[in-house]
Amino acid sequence: MFKDLDPILHSQLRLAIISLLIGVKEAEFNYLKEKTNATAGNLSVQISKLKEAGYIEVVKQYKDNYPQTICRITPKGRKAFEEYVEDLQTYLNSRK
Amino acid sequence: MQNENFSPEDSIRVIQAMIEKTKFTVADNSYYFLLWGWLVFIGCIGQFVLKVLVQYPYHYLIWNITFIGIIFSIYHGVKGRGQKKAKTYVSESLDNLWIAIVVSYILFDFAFVRFGWEGCYTFYMMLYALGCFVTGRVLKFYPLIWGAIGSWCLALISTFTPIDYNILLCGLAILISYIIPGHLLKRQYRKLDMHV
Repeated sequence: MFKDLDPILHSQLRLAIISLLIGVKEAEFNYLKEKTNATAGNLSVQISKLKEAGYIEVVKQYKDNYPQTICRITPKGRKAFEEYVEDLQTYLNSRK
Repeated sequence: MQNENFSPEDSIRVIQAMIEKTKFTVADNSYYFLLWGWLVFIGCIGQFVLKVLVQYPYHYLIWNITFIGIIFSIYHGVKGRGQKKAKTYVSESLDNLWIAIVVSYILFDFAFVRFGWEGCYTFYMMLYALGCFVTGRVLKFYPLIWGAIGSWCLALISTFTPIDYNILLCGLAILISYIIPGHLLKRQYRKLDMHV
C-alpha cells in the first residue's frame, strides 16, 4: 500500500507544506517555517523538491528591500494532493 | 523527516494539523471592527447629546471623527500589507465584501445629501448587519451573526421610532454588531494564536 502513495508527498514536511498551501492562495517562506516548525535549511530543500516535481511554484522577489519567497500550489500539485488523500482513504478503508 | 517511519495515520494527522493552522490565518479582523465600532458609537452618542440634549445646531460636525477612522484604516492597511505572510481565499473574499460595503456607505451619503438624512440610520444599520452577517458566517463566528440579526431588528424598529432616537438605536446596533463581537474576535484570535 505504501508503494501506491506518492513518494513526493509521503514525507512529513513536504506533506505539511502542501497541506498548508492547499488552504491559502499563496504563502511566504516565513509563514511556512512558522507553521511547520521546520528549520530554514530543511524547508528550503523540501520546497525545492516540490518545485522540481511541479507541485508548487516559487516566486522570489524583493519587498521593502528585503528578499521574499512566495510559494503557491500548482494545479498539478492540487491534483497530486487530492489523489494522495484518496489513496490514504483507500488504505484506511481496507484496514477496517 | 524519515519517511520509513511515516505511516498513513501520521499523514492524516499532518494534513489535519496544517489545515487547522491555516484556519487561524483569517481570524484577526478585529482591528477594523473595534476602530470603526468605537468611532461610530462615540459619534452616535455625541450627536444625540448635541442635537437632543444641548440642541446645538451644528451637531452633525461630530461626524468629522470619521476622518480619524479613515486615516487609521489606511495606515493599518498599508502597514498590514507588508506584514501579511499568507493570502487566503477567505481573507480576499472578506476584503472585497467590505470594500463593497464602504462604497455603498459613500453612495448612500451622496443620496442622503440629495434626498435628506431622515432615514439614514435605518440604512446604516442594515449595512452593519449585512457585513457582519456574511463575515460571521464565513468565519463561523456566532457573536457577529447574532450582532447582525440584532442590527436588522433595530433597523426595523427604527422605522417606527422618532428620528432623533434612531441615533441611539444606531449606537446600540454598532455596540452589538461591531464592538462586542470585535472584542470577542480579538480575544479568540489571541487565544488561538498562542497554540499555532
